[in-house]
Amino acid sequence: MSYMTVGIVDYGMGNHASVIHSLRDLGFRVRVSDETGVLDCTDVLILPGVGAFPSAMQALHQRGLVGYLQEQAREQRPILGICLGMQLLASASHEIHYTAGLDLIPGEVVALTDSKWHIGWNTVECVEQDLLLQASDGQTFYFNHSFCYQGPTEYQVCVSRYPGPFASVIRRGSVVGVQFHPEKSQDAGRVLLKNLITGLAHA
Amino acid sequence: MLKKRLVGVVTIKNGWAVQSFGYRRYLPLGKPECLVENLDRWGADEILVQLIDRSVSDLGPDFELLERLGGLGLETPLIYAGGIRSVSDGVKLIQSGADRLVVDALLHDDLSSVRGLSERLGAQALIASMPLSWQGGCVEWLDYRGQTSTPITDEILDLIHSRVISEVLITDWMHEGKPRSFNQKIVEIFSLQDVPLITFGGLSTSEQMAMLLQQSNISAIAVGNFLSYKEHAIQRFKEQLAGMPLRLSNYESRYSLFADV
Repeated sequence: MSYMTVGIVDYGMGNHASVIHSLRDLGFRVRVSDETGVLDCTDVLILPGVGAFPSAMQALHQRGLVGYLQEQAREQRPILGICLGMQLLASASHEIHYTAGLDLIPGEVVALTDSKWHIGWNTVECVEQDLLLQASDGQTFYFNHSFCYQGPTEYQVCVSRYPGPFASVIRRGSVVGVQFHPEKSQDAGRVLLKNLITGLAHA
Repeated sequence: MLKKRLVGVVTIKNGWAVQSFGYRRYLPLGKPECLVENLDRWGADEILVQLIDRSVSDLGPDFELLERLGGLGLETPLIYAGGIRSVSDGVKLIQSGADRLVVDALLHDDLSSVRGLSERLGAQALIASMPLSWQGGCVEWLDYRGQTSTPITDEILDLIHSRVISEVLITDWMHEGKPRSFNQKIVEIFSLQDVPLITFGGLSTSEQMAMLLQQSNISAIAVGNFLSYKEHAIQRFKEQLAGMPLRLSNYESRYSLFADV
């Protein structure tokens, strides 16, 4: 049984209920907080999020979490961004207006080119060898977004197609972002969350 | 490849899940939580809970229900419909656990709030519900609160065309609850053919569903009544729809046969 603790970074965007349930179901302890002292006592940080990029960055700034997350990444602390949380890991976003991001993974967030939005279940294909994601290669996950990551291919671990390819998982060291919602992706999501969290914590 | 979706619908009236027939007659089914839990276990692609009395009685959204559903630890995307009056209602619903919202009465009452919701939450979070019927050679749009039908206004078509919402839930309300009765005509002549549609009402067989899923503008099929009194109803429909661009049926157990190390 794993007794790792996962810290959900609470910056007031979106709901955490499903993420909390999924993590507890997998046997992890969960702390939800915007206090760095609480987040410091966890093994892996999760940055969730639903909504628009500029207001999310504003919320992180207001809570003094931008510098904190950058510092944690420099110290090789595992960080997992989910959906909007993944986009926040990038250098900047063009959603609504140009906004600087956390800049933990070089690249920008741009509007999807082939469609206005991407809603539903889509397959994830690994384009880089990554042991933590091997079991998820070819699995389907739930997406709900209209912007996506665009950056160097070296950080793009998995792609999905709609119909052209876009990055669905990005990684730079111990910082990982997933564009889909693993917590809403049933069995496939559980497997991915478990492998990513345990793998990143033990790396 | 992006899959099309099979959406499980739970209709709720006065706090109870009901079978609904033509937006007029209702039979109680039980606690909404039980039906939602089944759909989650059966691997529905999305779950839509629609509370049909909230706008009629001006009750606003049922946040308590959403909290109870959140407590179930659902692993399926949840769509909420019922009683949304404002942008703040919508934001609170998303914060309470809904992944997407359906607006219906708001389309009749306050289009600026629909636009506001879209700006705040993103169009991908918004679905427009349009109960339609084919009458006298044209499509009529029902305002279910007063049971009055009128032609679809240009204002609504413009709103949909401008991508303020991401999908339209078209309900054949007259045939809702009647097996094999969905009238394809309302889809064929819906004037915005490039808008993704979710179809609902009278869809009881895989043959009907297959016919709709072959159309490029249909993104999802929604089923409510015809999932009741069966076990694994979602998986069975998916098995019958093998070859369609749907996610495969999935049976799963939460109990691992491998010990954690």
